Amino acid sequence: MPNEIWVLAEHQDGKIKKIVFELLSAAIDFSKKTVQEVAALLLGSGLEEAVKSLTPFADKIYLMEDPVFIPYTSDTYLTGIAPLIKEHQPSILLGGATSTGKDLFPRLAMHLQTGYVPDCTGLSFGENGKLVAKRPLFGGKVFAEIVFSEARPQMATVRNNTFLVNDKPDRTAKVISVSAQIAPSIIKKKVTGFEKAAGAKLDITEADIVVAAGRGIKAPENFKIIEDLAETIHASVGTTRATVDEGWRDLKDQIGKSGKNISAKLYMAFGISGAIHHVLGISTCKTVVAVDTDPNALIFNYADYGIVGDLFQIVPALTEELKRVLASE
Amino acid sequence: MEIYVLVKQVPDPEAMIKVKSDTELEIENKYFTSYFDEVAIEAGLKLKEKFGGKVTVLTVDNRRVDALRRGISMGADEALQITDPALEGSDPFAIARTLSAYLKEKSFDLILAGRQAMDDDAGIVGPAVAECLGIPHIHSIIGLEVDDQKKEAKVVREVENGRENLTCPLPALFTCQKGLNTPRIPLVMNVMKAMKAQIKKVDLASLNLKPADVGSQAAQIKVQRYLLPPKRPPVKIIKEDFPENVKTLVKLLREEAKAI
Amino acid sequence: MEKVDVIIVGGGLAGLSCAYELADSGMTVLVLERGDFSGSKNVTGGRLYLRPILPYLPDIWKEAPFERHVVKEIFTAMGKHNSTTFEFYSDRFKEEPYPSYTILRAKFDRWFAELVSEKGSFVIPQKTVDDLIKENGKVIGVKSGDEEIGADCVVAADGILSFLSEKAGLRKPFQPKHFALGFKEVIQLDPKTIEDRFRVAEGEGAAQLFFGALTQGMMGGGFLYTNKDSLSLGLVIGLHALNSKATREEVYKLLDRFKERPEIKNIIRGGETVEYSAHLITEGGIYNMPKLYTDGMLMVGDAAGLGLNMLFTVRGMEYAIVSGVLAARTIKEAKAKNDFSASSLAKYEKLLNESFILKEMHTFKNTLAVLENERLFTKYPQVISDLFEKVMWVDENPKEEIYKTKIAELKKQFFNLETLKDWWQFRKI
Repeated sequence: MPNEIWVLAEHQDGKIKKIVFELLSAAIDFSKKTVQEVAALLLGSGLEEAVKSLTPFADKIYLMEDPVFIPYTSDTYLTGIAPLIKEHQPSILLGGATSTGKDLFPRLAMHLQTGYVPDCTGLSFGENGKLVAKRPLFGGKVFAEIVFSEARPQMATVRNNTFLVNDKPDRTAKVISVSAQIAPSIIKKKVTGFEKAAGAKLDITEADIVVAAGRGIKAPENFKIIEDLAETIHASVGTTRATVDEGWRDLKDQIGKSGKNISAKLYMAFGISGAIHHVLGISTCKTVVAVDTDPNALIFNYADYGIVGDLFQIVPALTEELKRVLASE
Repeated sequence: MEIYVLVKQVPDPEAMIKVKSDTELEIENKYFTSYFDEVAIEAGLKLKEKFGGKVTVLTVDNRRVDALRRGISMGADEALQITDPALEGSDPFAIARTLSAYLKEKSFDLILAGRQAMDDDAGIVGPAVAECLGIPHIHSIIGLEVDDQKKEAKVVREVENGRENLTCPLPALFTCQKGLNTPRIPLVMNVMKAMKAQIKKVDLASLNLKPADVGSQAAQIKVQRYLLPPKRPPVKIIKEDFPENVKTLVKLLREEAKAI
Repeated sequence: MEKVDVIIVGGGLAGLSCAYELADSGMTVLVLERGDFSGSKNVTGGRLYLRPILPYLPDIWKEAPFERHVVKEIFTAMGKHNSTTFEFYSDRFKEEPYPSYTILRAKFDRWFAELVSEKGSFVIPQKTVDDLIKENGKVIGVKSGDEEIGADCVVAADGILSFLSEKAGLRKPFQPKHFALGFKEVIQLDPKTIEDRFRVAEGEGAAQLFFGALTQGMMGGGFLYTNKDSLSLGLVIGLHALNSKATREEVYKLLDRFKERPEIKNIIRGGETVEYSAHLITEGGIYNMPKLYTDGMLMVGDAAGLGLNMLFTVRGMEYAIVSGVLAARTIKEAKAKNDFSASSLAKYEKLLNESFILKEMHTFKNTLAVLENERLFTKYPQVISDLFEKVMWVDENPKEEIYKTKIAELKKQFFNLETLKDWWQFRKI
């Protein structure tokens, strides 16, 4: 199998996003079977740190250094990437299922007349090294394994925490500088500003640990105990549609069908009944903990561990216990 | 303003889905308009109310048009169904090509779509149509202001941990996210009128598309197998009283699940 | 204000039947249904008796999504640890048109609504009517959200706690003793298994009613109906008894306990519960009926209190359907005269009186009084089963003469003043 596996190296404030390392690690695993080279695709400027961090994870880094790529727009990225792909013909192009990935990849795939599977929760190789992408449909009621036509590259965006970051990456990437040919006329959209979300921790779609409270929290100020817990274990705070509709929490923190899908390593649900539109948003979380006063709450059908109890009693005690245990290491 | 809204009729989130065989699903006959599409329709209607003009809803569907009727009942001026037996098995790229074949003959200021459909949650058609038509697109918008004079839009886009403000020249395509607006609930009389409304049908031939361009033979991606979601083992309810249960939970999370 | 000819509030069986009958009359008819679709908020045990309906609505039943036609009627008196079951079968049940069919409302009402739409009335889902619009005491329209729609006639088909009947001042305040709470599970089971367990042929079904220990001394009973590939199993408990004796939670536990009884457990074995639902049921008979009409408005179905407990069966859906048809006929006549006043709409009550509906409502007017007798649910079912147990139990003791056993027991249990009084009451049904 010739050709390379490429991963779009998304970055923020000069640092490469964790999902990129996850995908490069996966690519390294695949490459052992298929003898392909792994390459990272990096666009932007001021990326010395970023290049360093990528070096053990790839055989090549295609670096397009140009301030025109900051901030991301599909105009610049597509114009920069497309000719590179046409030249090198990678067999696979992966990216994170991030706001950038979801904005760029469908358009890029259409431009390249190739196949693209969004928001994957699994990737594997089928017969003769063809990529098989696994993803949820109907909000997670059914999963599908999807294969590609002959067109190349096979493109996919992947959810956080689908793959583990290799803790002993053994490559040494060669940096290949590519000059970007971006005529100013192709830049249609202009980013005029960015507002960071208040109290910004990691977005719930990117956090390793998410703790959430629903209607059971009873009042917006009670979220303090959840936030304290989150602080202790470096978690992000999510919520359900109930509190968002009440105006207690922001839509960006809503987990569920009309909110976000999260794929955290650990998800803890407090005072959340477990209505179907919420649980479909947590189906790919690795470990789920639920605390609710109702022993028949549906959430327990989707959890690994559960406590039937009062969150107002459990959560502060949990925070204390975790503080104690983590301090003693 | 001339506005087109792309809509899709999808199974109701409450509909039961069964895996009949590797490549066949049985879907309970409950369909509704994808919620994000309603947000898009609402955005189009608001702009029409401000600047005058026309809102057309269109869909590619061989069977159902209730999503189109929903658009009309909310206030859209015209509805269009692109339908053709050859479209069966089309992947999102084929759908995008089909829609673009129709739209490229039209003059428009804005195309709106939902950020993803609630059946496959793919979000491919919107940006792909923009590519086919050679117009700029922005995905997942939560704020929209239009300057009809300058033919420019000010858009707010949802990104991880914040919001990005952009300007974009028109014509353009935007996919809409929940929070952009609250879709209006159609009046009874408008629902009735929509039930009676004529839906214009368009086939592939009138779009100069050949069956080979669309349908399952042209698919870039194909489902090889449907699977039931991975089942979680039954929950371990920690039965001890407080505060032992908290201690046990932490122990399990650290040692057994290795999650903290 | 926009106006149509008829607004029917509620898309259940009564509302849809009225809309169906009016559909090709040239009038614009709107059915406003609060659920996502007709049937989404409707529940029955249950079964539909078809023959009373056929004279009024003959044509549509060939394609109807019935479950099974009932060929077996089963009655079980449950003691605390024993039970006695009577099973009745007749070849006559197999004569077409079949007398009754089990149905599932979500499927059935949905199909019916499609039929109504095809015929020309408009069924509009997700619409709740919040108020009536009146002018000089006459109903001239409805208000849904902020929208006001006028109509020559409003048909209140809004179900058992009809809000419109109150708004129109047509009824006295509801009394808990006139209602029961019915709650059920739909348990999926392979068709062949159902047919084997009930010993019926393919496509045939059974209906089973239970009374006794299962309701823990409260007025009520249990039911079990066979559907194509599922069983409808549930309980009905009098609301008055419920309010005084149990919390809602305990009520749902009753169903769990019922399912644990061997008489039930072995019938539903291997089945999977796929649906829970609950609904109020009228038990008050004619005492729970509002006035049936006023200027510009008619009451149909459950909203008109048209439902009956006949002890050996329950009636309601046939009344809903036929009352809807009769309301439609009344409206057609009123339209011809362009007179929707109460005196014109009074024709509706006349038609109801001439039909089986009010005739039966009157015949069975004493049912509630009889049902208020606690011994029906405690002593009598226990005694019946204990009697059989005494006769059927064989151990090391030599068996006594059957007659002696029976007489001794009968004397003890039945020949007392209390029982005699009860018998006197039962005569009233």
